[in-house]
Amino acid sequence: MADALFLAISILTIGSAIAALEMRSLVYGSIALMGTLGGIAGFYVMLDSTFVAMFQLAVYVGSIAVLILFTVMLVKRELIFKKIEDPKRKFAGIGLMLIVILALGAIIMDSGIKTITTDSDPVDFREIGGDFLTYYWPALILMALILAGSVMGALVLARREDTVENEQ
Amino acid sequence: MSVIAPKFRLGYFLKGIFDNAFWILTLVTLAGIPTIQIALFLIPLPVINGQLLTAYLAFTWLFNPTMQIPLIKALLYSDLFRIAAFPGFGFAALIAAGTIFVERKMLAKLQLRVGPFYCGKIEGILQLVADGLKLISKEIIIPAKADKPLFWAAPVLFVGTAAAFVALIPVAPGGWVVADLDVGLLAVFAVIGFFPIITILSAWSANSKFPFIGGIRALHQMVSFEIPLILSLLGVVILTGTLNLSEIVESQSSFPWIIFMPIGAIVFFITVLAELERIPFDLPEAESEIVAGWLTEFSGMIYGLVQLGSYLKLYAFAALFVIIFLGGWTGPVFWPPLDVELITEGIPIPNYVGDPILTVTTPGLPLLDKDPNEWVMQQQGELVYTSGQLLVSGVIWFVLKTVGVIFFILLPRGVFPRIRLDMLLHIGWYKLIGLSFVNIFIALGLVYAGVIGPGGIL
Repeated sequence: MADALFLAISILTIGSAIAALEMRSLVYGSIALMGTLGGIAGFYVMLDSTFVAMFQLAVYVGSIAVLILFTVMLVKRELIFKKIEDPKRKFAGIGLMLIVILALGAIIMDSGIKTITTDSDPVDFREIGGDFLTYYWPALILMALILAGSVMGALVLARREDTVENEQ
Repeated sequence: MSVIAPKFRLGYFLKGIFDNAFWILTLVTLAGIPTIQIALFLIPLPVINGQLLTAYLAFTWLFNPTMQIPLIKALLYSDLFRIAAFPGFGFAALIAAGTIFVERKMLAKLQLRVGPFYCGKIEGILQLVADGLKLISKEIIIPAKADKPLFWAAPVLFVGTAAAFVALIPVAPGGWVVADLDVGLLAVFAVIGFFPIITILSAWSANSKFPFIGGIRALHQMVSFEIPLILSLLGVVILTGTLNLSEIVESQSSFPWIIFMPIGAIVFFITVLAELERIPFDLPEAESEIVAGWLTEFSGMIYGLVQLGSYLKLYAFAALFVIIFLGGWTGPVFWPPLDVELITEGIPIPNYVGDPILTVTTPGLPLLDKDPNEWVMQQQGELVYTSGQLLVSGVIWFVLKTVGVIFFILLPRGVFPRIRLDMLLHIGWYKLIGLSFVNIFIALGLVYAGVIGPGGIL
């Protein structure tokens, strides 16, 4: 059952990644990108880390993909894609990607990862939170400062010059 | 005066009926019965009274009054029942249908109108049925240059996402929830994130200007109000130390969190209004500016599906408010049984020959209890699942609170006008985010002052 699920999620992820690159329609391409990101969330669920999977769904599928869609919909796609397609290039790209994936997979499989067997429980997200608050607190502070800075930057950029309107 | 069927002949009528019967019989024989037989191989059947329930046995027991209750109990505790009927889709759809009717009648009363009146004898109560039949029987018109696959898929995806949201809502104690996740609140955030995608995709696929403007507005609104929505719930997560929705409800057994987190509750309520596109935040569907917003090109049952999805979403958000801030199903138990000591230890009777201790068994609700003394076992922590009395009182409290919150979500529609887009974004980005940070600091203060939390006073 787990193997069948793993295969299904792998086919979904890789297939939609190929589709995201190769589709002529930009909107369908970004939908396929959502499929890829969702498939990665499925891998996280299979690895017993639901916490990361939910963040993957909330951040990547829920926010990043929305931004990409939003950008794509404002683009006039006819202006970009007037090129004549070269099928050789397409197949060469797919082939190159498959070769890279197979090579990476072979290296990972050869590294002795198959011999690792573990029955330990999955890491609880409370432990991750505890680690962040004790040992890794400088990283957490840094992330918080960067996030706060970017939010403030966004607020400053989005600020309207209301005074001019009021004078009129 | 027109005639309904000018060429009516009894022969044609009978032929039509016989044709239909013939095709139904043929299809059932060729496709229906094999499907059922294949499905029966794959479904794990329950064991009742030491007997494996087979299809024959089920049909036999249906007509045996003593065996009906165990059969129904086995059905009540199955996954299919949870998904389709009680904490899942059927329950939510029932509340959603009630919401639509109450909304129309209540708005009418607020504006000194009558509202639905003629369908059904009592206050137009059959208006919903009439509207549903109308939506089902109407033609689905697809714009000529629309993107057909997305245009068809978007309403189905919308209902599916709303149903996934409903599946995360716990309704009664003892795990009456479809998906009891350890990270339930995060799953809620993940599911909420899908709504703007579906909205903008359906708006784009219609290839029409009004849906597109409405979709862009919906995207702005939903994306900018998601941030205060998430931040306003984090205070409760800090206080309870869990993300599981059932545990959040159980942490409120003595007081609801709205007492300590009123700012978070207010911010969450306003963001819910914006996420649901209700008045005063109904810019995506502003009917006086852009026809019907992103719903403009929908017709027939596609429109019906979107409406069903949005009312399911309304129920789910109201239920989330109840779960996080109002204590969910907690409340006084209706007709609690006798004292625990009377059942476990009994009253000693002096000078009595024989068994000198008087004990009592109080049968609870026969359909929902597995054991007569379940309530006592529940009190003593010997029971994992919940007893029937707690279930009934929990569901009643939950529904009462949810209906109250739904009422307050509906109320602004009769009171407030629509606000401007820049005012909306100003509220979302400046005020609500700031207020939700204030709420988080209040929660942190309560934890560090030792009032609530692990080792706190309360």
